[in-house]
Amino acid sequence: MTDKLIDEIRDKMAKNEVTSDMLFDEAVSLGNKYQSDYNSFVTILEKKEEEEGNSKLSGIPYVLKDNISTKGILTTASSNILKDYIPLYDATVYEKLKKAGAVLVGKTVLDELAMGGTGTTGHTGIVRNPWDKNRMAGGSSSGSVSSVALGIVPFAIGSDTGDSIRKPASYCGVVGYKPTYGRVSRYGLFAFTSSLDHVGVIARSVRDVSYVMDVIKGHDEKDMTSLPDEDIKYEDYLENSVKGKKLFYINEALNIKTDNDNLKEIIKNFENTIDKCRELGMEVEKVDFGMDLLEAIYPVYNVISCAEATSNNSNLTGIPFGSRVEGKNVNDIMMKTRTEGFSELIKRRFVIGSYVLQKENQEKLFLNASRARRLIVDRMNELFKKYDGLIMPATEDIAPLFDKASDKLSDEYLILGNHLVLANFGGFPSITIPSGFVKDMPVGVNITGRAKEDYLVLNIANKLEGTLGYKGQVKNNE
Amino acid sequence: MVNDMTKEELKMLANKLMFEMDDKEYETLLSEFDITLKQMELIGKIKDIDKVSPMTYPFDLELSDSCLREDISNNEISFDDMKINVKDYEDNKVKLPKVVE
Repeated sequence: MTDKLIDEIRDKMAKNEVTSDMLFDEAVSLGNKYQSDYNSFVTILEKKEEEEGNSKLSGIPYVLKDNISTKGILTTASSNILKDYIPLYDATVYEKLKKAGAVLVGKTVLDELAMGGTGTTGHTGIVRNPWDKNRMAGGSSSGSVSSVALGIVPFAIGSDTGDSIRKPASYCGVVGYKPTYGRVSRYGLFAFTSSLDHVGVIARSVRDVSYVMDVIKGHDEKDMTSLPDEDIKYEDYLENSVKGKKLFYINEALNIKTDNDNLKEIIKNFENTIDKCRELGMEVEKVDFGMDLLEAIYPVYNVISCAEATSNNSNLTGIPFGSRVEGKNVNDIMMKTRTEGFSELIKRRFVIGSYVLQKENQEKLFLNASRARRLIVDRMNELFKKYDGLIMPATEDIAPLFDKASDKLSDEYLILGNHLVLANFGGFPSITIPSGFVKDMPVGVNITGRAKEDYLVLNIANKLEGTLGYKGQVKNNE
Repeated sequence: MVNDMTKEELKMLANKLMFEMDDKEYETLLSEFDITLKQMELIGKIKDIDKVSPMTYPFDLELSDSCLREDISNNEISFDDMKINVKDYEDNKVKLPKVVE
């Protein structure tokens, strides 16, 4: 039953054919069953928490990414340095879900400290793709995405700083949503890049994402970047007509010569998706974005995210936070704790971050990256004056094989592999929905809209989902 | 900015950040710096980059003084809660390594 959509589960609950205890037991049992093959979880709860509240999510099981604070429940950020950390307080998103009656099943594996996109760098091992165990689930919300794709839970909470919800969602054939910046409180989310971090939702339909968003969104005085409340429910907008809505796609990203057959198929799939948009009465046009700005996307992300991450994680020293490694004095303790606690990838990112923040480099590196970010966001906002949304293939390839992808920086640059971070730069709401298959692996389409217009992005995605035919998709490996 | 970075410089940065890396890790890092600095060189040449101010948040968050709450204590942690994460304690005091030499 946990592999069904929320309305189907609620229907069964209303008929007393299933109870929340049964759902929790089923989710725990599936979680344990798939754990050795897919490794979605850091922690699977043994006991159901006391149920509170009454909402559409009452009794519905879900999982949280393990960088979200849960009082009394181990929260590791999938890093050795936090392998024993038990938070003293609840994140707002967890508190809201608890108050809505949703039932936490477990905490999911991520790329260490949410810095990575492969699902291979967590301290408890790699996460495998539900559709092919030899392929990555993607990251960093790896376990949250895989547990939804495997049918363990109907929805999950993740975080998204560059594409960490939306890219793995595409690789695993589920819906991944990153709302407008500030729409969901980040109180209790372990900070990675504060100017780009978002809390978001993974589910098997746009409607289910909307149900969860209607519960978790809202102003929070504990998060200074939190937006004021809006007096609407996204659910109410899902079925609005999208006739006359205008979308654009980035010409330079798609008008490319490639030998990659998968990419060719993905572009074909995208063309088919655009046809469906037109059938719904939407207008879709190609736009020249500007190659200099497009080529700046990844380096800008790299510089800003490394710089903020270095600073945000400086408290992990073994003294106030972090699993302490004993040493002969305070410097020795910090040195040993951080050397043993962080993996190589994290250290490399911190060094880059520290370098770009050094006084003598700041102007040319960190500040120039922040200026380029503004130019990119200005360009997006200029296009959003004419268009209601950006539509693009979510990824440039299907989920990579484990021996094919790397977290090392590469000279190779594909706009289609990096464009999702546009939505983080500008805080734009952005959703990935499944749009078909290439070589038996799921692929997705991404829609990004104007900041603070989450309802419209969900509306367009819901209508498109209705014509694509992958709503409720799950990889049932029974 | 040409990449004339040396392993020694990187070592210094890593040590400032309070961790050590091995030789192979420094090699990877050197090549990553090579790419990053080349890419940033191009970014410095983007038209009008000198005409805009750096962006620190996705949009204007309209932060004002009213965002500051009154300076009243509102979040107390009980010792029983806190000791979950504490390696060593006595009565209601946490034992820490000596941090002042």
